[in-house]
Amino acid sequence: MMHLTFLLLATVAGEAVADLYVTEASLPPELALSVPPVPTPSAHHQSEYEPSGSVRSGRSAEDSPATTEHGESHHGGGGYKIVQWEWSYVQTPYIIAIWLLMASFAKILFHFSQRFTTVVPESCMLILIGLALGGVALITSKVPLYQLDPSLFFLFLLPTIVGDAGYFMPARLFFDNLGAIVMYAVVGTLWNAFCTGLCLYGMKMMGVIDQKVEGGLMEFLLFGALISAVDPVAVLAVFEEVHINETLFIIVFGESLLNDAVTVVLYKVYISFVEVGPGNVQTGDYFKGVASFLIVSIGGTLVGLIFAVILAFTTRFTKKVRIIEPLFVFLLVYLAYLTAELFSLSAILSLTFCGIGCNKYVEANISQKSRTTVKYTMKTLASIAETIIFIFLGISAMDKSKWAWDTGLVSCTLIFIFVFRAMGVVGQTWFLNWFRLVPLDKIDQVVMSYGGLRGAVAFALVVLLDKKQVKAKDYFVATTIVVVFFTFIFQGLTIKPLVRWLKVPRGSKRKPTINEEIHERAFDHIMAAVEDIAGLNGYHHWRDKWEQFDKNYLSKLLMRKSVYRKSELWEAYQKINIRDAISVIDQGGNVLTSARLSLPSMASRTSFPEATTVTNYLRENGSGVCLDLQVMETVPSVKVEEETETHHVLAGNLYKPRRRYHQSHYSRHFMVMGEQERQDREVFQRNMRNRLESFKSTRYKRHKKDRSQKKRRGSDVKDRDLEPNDKPRRNVSWQDKDPVAVPIEQEDTKGEQPEVEKEEDMGITFVARKAPDTPLKERPKSVPSGLEGCQSPTAAPPSPTCAERNLPWKGGMGTLPVCVSMEATKIIPIDLQQAWNQSISSLESLASPPVPAEPQHPRVSALSRLGGPPVRPLSAVIPSTAILGAAGESSSTSSPAAPPSTTTSSTTSTAARTDSGEFRFPGAEEEDESALSQQQQEMQPLMSSLSSSSSSAARAAPPPPPLLGQAAAARRRNPCVYLRNLVTTPPGNEPYSRGPTQL
Amino acid sequence: MGASKSLQTTSEHDFEDLAERTGFSLEQIKNLHKRFQWLNNHQETLRREDFEKVSHLSFNPIRGQIIQAFFDKRNFGKGEVGEVDEIGFEQFLTVMSHFKAPNKKITEEETEAIRTHKLRFLFNMHDTDNDGTITLDEYRHLVEKLLSTCETLEEDTAKAIADAAMLEVAKITVVHMEPHEVYEGITFEQFQQILKGIEIERKMNIRFLQMDTTPMRCGK
Repeated sequence: MMHLTFLLLATVAGEAVADLYVTEASLPPELALSVPPVPTPSAHHQSEYEPSGSVRSGRSAEDSPATTEHGESHHGGGGYKIVQWEWSYVQTPYIIAIWLLMASFAKILFHFSQRFTTVVPESCMLILIGLALGGVALITSKVPLYQLDPSLFFLFLLPTIVGDAGYFMPARLFFDNLGAIVMYAVVGTLWNAFCTGLCLYGMKMMGVIDQKVEGGLMEFLLFGALISAVDPVAVLAVFEEVHINETLFIIVFGESLLNDAVTVVLYKVYISFVEVGPGNVQTGDYFKGVASFLIVSIGGTLVGLIFAVILAFTTRFTKKVRIIEPLFVFLLVYLAYLTAELFSLSAILSLTFCGIGCNKYVEANISQKSRTTVKYTMKTLASIAETIIFIFLGISAMDKSKWAWDTGLVSCTLIFIFVFRAMGVVGQTWFLNWFRLVPLDKIDQVVMSYGGLRGAVAFALVVLLDKKQVKAKDYFVATTIVVVFFTFIFQGLTIKPLVRWLKVPRGSKRKPTINEEIHERAFDHIMAAVEDIAGLNGYHHWRDKWEQFDKNYLSKLLMRKSVYRKSELWEAYQKINIRDAISVIDQGGNVLTSARLSLPSMASRTSFPEATTVTNYLRENGSGVCLDLQVMETVPSVKVEEETETHHVLAGNLYKPRRRYHQSHYSRHFMVMGEQERQDREVFQRNMRNRLESFKSTRYKRHKKDRSQKKRRGSDVKDRDLEPNDKPRRNVSWQDKDPVAVPIEQEDTKGEQPEVEKEEDMGITFVARKAPDTPLKERPKSVPSGLEGCQSPTAAPPSPTCAERNLPWKGGMGTLPVCVSMEATKIIPIDLQQAWNQSISSLESLASPPVPAEPQHPRVSALSRLGGPPVRPLSAVIPSTAILGAAGESSSTSSPAAPPSTTTSSTTSTAARTDSGEFRFPGAEEEDESALSQQQQEMQPLMSSLSSSSSSAARAAPPPPPLLGQAAAARRRNPCVYLRNLVTTPPGNEPYSRGPTQL
Repeated sequence: MGASKSLQTTSEHDFEDLAERTGFSLEQIKNLHKRFQWLNNHQETLRREDFEKVSHLSFNPIRGQIIQAFFDKRNFGKGEVGEVDEIGFEQFLTVMSHFKAPNKKITEEETEAIRTHKLRFLFNMHDTDNDGTITLDEYRHLVEKLLSTCETLEEDTAKAIADAAMLEVAKITVVHMEPHEVYEGITFEQFQQILKGIEIERKMNIRFLQMDTTPMRCGK
């Protein structure tokens, strides 16, 4: 324990030195403290090499290099040293790193206890840690260690936190409430500052505050100004854990950001007044103060917006240098802050507006990976900064030499800031509620008053005061520390129970659903339209105007063309899709069971009669084929089962040697998708597929397959482990195109250019990239094209589109040859759908053998496949047979009135257990039928991997051509349906009639 | 504004009557009446073509549906169905009253009633054929219109989005459906359910006062 304490102490001491070193100047002389000799292990090491310097006092940063050099020169003469102690060389970064590490460890420890974290906010905890550290240092060394350094705080810590907050600020919400926010920020802060300052001065006059606290009116006004501003860091830290409703949060938080201008100006004005002396202040100076406020706030905002435009414009052109995109974001946002500081404008305003302004365009321009990088880096930095701030605050509080206690001042300040905050809030809210359509009620006002938290900004400002001018600085520091601690510890601890007790409506962190997106958007238009009709130039009117402007000019200027075209609704949709897809993987397909709904008619075009009523069937067919596949019982033959298993093992565990490194060179400028990554992706997809597979097989033959499945899983796990080191092993199953057929060069030439963009636009592996839509559309339905598409090296997931195009039963529509071709060429995915297809393909690991180029009658093709070379071992057979078998058995009532194709295939079927009952059409069985087809549709891509051409496929899955063709076509048109619930059911007997109408 | 001083065809008494029925204040009604007369060139009734005068409306992607709402009998609160070709000031006012801000002090039930009222209006707007459900076709139409400002997005995209949204509705709202049951579309109850995350009663408010000043909340 002692040892640990010492170690901590050493770090703290070292940190002090280090920070002196970093922020060389700008520190008051008394901060250059001496660090006591500490017998740490490092010191021991040091002494071995440095006998003269065994007592190494880090008196100051300037000293230490000299000392070390000295020590080294002693030794250096002796000869070559094998190991050298280079402490002074690494000192600064080393200590900083250790510092951060410690803070992070503290967080880990802290979060071990769930119950603890729900009660005690993290900020509170960190401050306590800081207090403890400071206390240890104080006891051991009797000298103060370190204090939160204002320049460090303002230049590095604050911008990271505010930058993060500004960049991820919900812009819409912010602007919706801008009126209230500005009001509270400006009027409220002014009110607080003046009242607190004046009343404190009054207290001083009345003798409540001790005479030792020297200072006139100006000093107290100055103190009032710096203590009255609500602090963004504190608000973030405390409110984030409360999950208060977003309107309330944005008002308090927005206020804390925007009041910076007021604080800065008041602070500066008062300081200058204090400097010249209250007597010498002329009337003109007050006007200068007002002018200064306008300049500081508006100027700060403008600087921020200018940088936002620069940043957005820059990211338009980073397509080729994706890797530095995040850097641009950080640099320009930070520069916005620094530039504002440079002109002594409001830096926080600048940063906030830069973040808000650029977010939309930057997020649209940069790649998904960059987005993630930006997000995580910002959050990490902000978290680090917050940690440092809180710990340092704790340590600073133990610095007894810096503060002087006066009970009167402290208690008066606490009372006044609280009272005036409450009064200010109530007054302003009363005024605002005249104008607000959504009034802020009493509970809101209580929370807002209570949420007026003071924090590190006030502390840093008070430390910045010049003691020569402000005599009472020490008292002010002490008071500020108490206020800040009160904020974090008392208010931080109590705000949660308070909010709960008041039943403040909580906010949910839920993301909006597609429906909400759609309706919100429609709603905005409706509101704007009604305002227009009523002839009002209200909020909605102007917002609509702004959106027009943004769309017509700003977005055109600041967004990439490719992005600009997309609608936000589209983006939202895309995101939701991705989320769903992920949840499918995460839950191993469980999502799918929950969604047992279907929109069969979605398969059809609007021209189709049924589409007008577009009904969504929900099927849970208890009588026949049960869509809840868990319930379904099948007794597949042993042979079939064996086959399945073999197939699964093969399909799951073999890698294809087809893939090449198309871009194997090392590049600093491109994020080359490494082989590792690609394999990871494959593994990922395979896992996904496995889960789905197993999911299905459990559904289909739960009781039978359990064991084998485990086996398979086990082998998978093994395989997964091996993969990274085992490159040649590739997956056979879902890159089924003939590997040898395509020369590698083709891949290279083809894949190269679009490649970069495509790859990097992919955020999540299986998610689609923006694919060139037109080329795909025009590409003839032929084998080579299909091969190209599928062989595209980027393509983690084999392009399903080409596969589907090539597969008659996928691309074709029912039995009509015309339809096949038309559908195949016509319903080629647009952006979105391709995206979908790809995500689906990764799910289903679609397989498609090359097929004849010309559109083929599906039935014919089925037959030809029958006779075709059964090169590939196994097929999708099993599952489908399983289904069919199940269908046949469960619906024994079904009539064998099957179409020719069915009969044909069932006759050829060696395992004709299905008795041709699987393809029943008419009447009552219709729904079973469609459900069946749906099932097959799901199964097909998964299972049929290699062997669409194998005889067994044709044998066991007799009706695939029409059935699956239809199903696949349906799916292609509405891919979402597929993923969202695998059990979509297109009306089973429709294909024949529907075919032509679809065009 | 541009609402010209008008020969007041409607008397103060009528206004008071209307105020009672629609809940608007007299001042609001006067403002709206001015606007009404400006729109229809001081005629008695308002026709569809008159809305073309509102120039900004031409940018609105779903203007068709919005204008239609003014001629939809369902929104007149009389329990009738169908549509009309021209509306009088009272109907105009009734439609507008859907966007009236509620009184500051209201009970929970009243809030809920207002919410239902407003949602019903929105629902009617989307349920164009008045069959009680927003069918997939209607939904697709809506999304298509919403996306129509993005010229490059294709029809299929809108369809896909609408389909996905529809599925989502089905997933959220329909917990369990009997076999052979058919999901026809979004019913009003389901509509309420999917929009419960949006505080319509707080948002669907327009101040009809101060026609020429921008309210405090005006952001950009």
